Amino acid sequence: MAFSRWLEHLPWVVELTGNAVQISIVWLFHFLGYFLVVGTTTIVDLRILGLAGKGQNLDKLAKQLFPWTWLGLLFVTVSGFLMFAGYAGQFFPAGVFWVKIGVFVVAIIFGVIVQRNVPRWSSMASIPSSAKAIALISIILWFGMILASVEVPAFIACI
Amino acid sequence: MMASIAHYLQNLPLILWLGSADHAYPFIQLTHFGGLSLWVSTCIILDIRLLGFGKDLLTPKKLLDTIFVWNWVGLLIAVTGGFTLFCIGAGGYVVNPAFQVKIYMLLPVALLTHIFVQWKTREWGQTEETPAIAKAFGGFELLMWMSVMTAAIWIPNF
Repeated sequence: MAFSRWLEHLPWVVELTGNAVQISIVWLFHFLGYFLVVGTTTIVDLRILGLAGKGQNLDKLAKQLFPWTWLGLLFVTVSGFLMFAGYAGQFFPAGVFWVKIGVFVVAIIFGVIVQRNVPRWSSMASIPSSAKAIALISIILWFGMILASVEVPAFIACI
Repeated sequence: MMASIAHYLQNLPLILWLGSADHAYPFIQLTHFGGLSLWVSTCIILDIRLLGFGKDLLTPKKLLDTIFVWNWVGLLIAVTGGFTLFCIGAGGYVVNPAFQVKIYMLLPVALLTHIFVQWKTREWGQTEETPAIAKAFGGFELLMWMSVMTAAIWIPNF
């Protein structure tokens, strides 16, 4: 709690949190990042499941989208930390926040597994069932993360 | 007139139930944000491609063919969730300046731009390099969706 109090009272955190325009820009990057991460990974996952762009080469599609996934992840992480810093004392004890972070981390791990295996899956005659199972779990995790995210404000009085 | 429509929507039995049920609201938000994730990201990646990024991979036309169905499925899901969220708090939303700017001004322009961009991408996006007009419209659409998101973020401030 001492750390969260220290973080909350840093001058630049106080300035950022109290300025409606600045914090709105942080929110904009947070949403933009989320949309990029969840949307691009979902499209690749849907392609693996055979539900999107069936005529399109999986490897090429993934290479087109993954740079934006990582950019989105950067936006989400930096903006998320800035939002967290302002109300750290409220975020720390909120169990649903840690559920969100946990699901987020697992979803990233699944994203990395997909990204590393896409070239191999793409070169096969047909995409294996195990790949489809991973893609399905990845989609469930990202949407589970959104569900946990929308619950967070209920526990943080100031956002 | 808008106030009476809002009052009517807000007091529909289903909306009253959804607004008061313990666990319904987060799932409606999930619908809205899940749909938006598909919609906004697929709009943006096409705009970025039209701007000339990632040109050694898929042509804009091939990218559009891949994302087209899920782009509109995303909008359908987002609108379903968004309209339900609107109904639950309709009385407050119709008098909210940020909501009015988002729904009456920015969203129609962004949507019409998107339809035009998708329609013209089949012509502009056949080769790796996109013409200047495609870059201009891709950049404009990107700007419009950022503006829609900014207006949406400002709604709770009023």
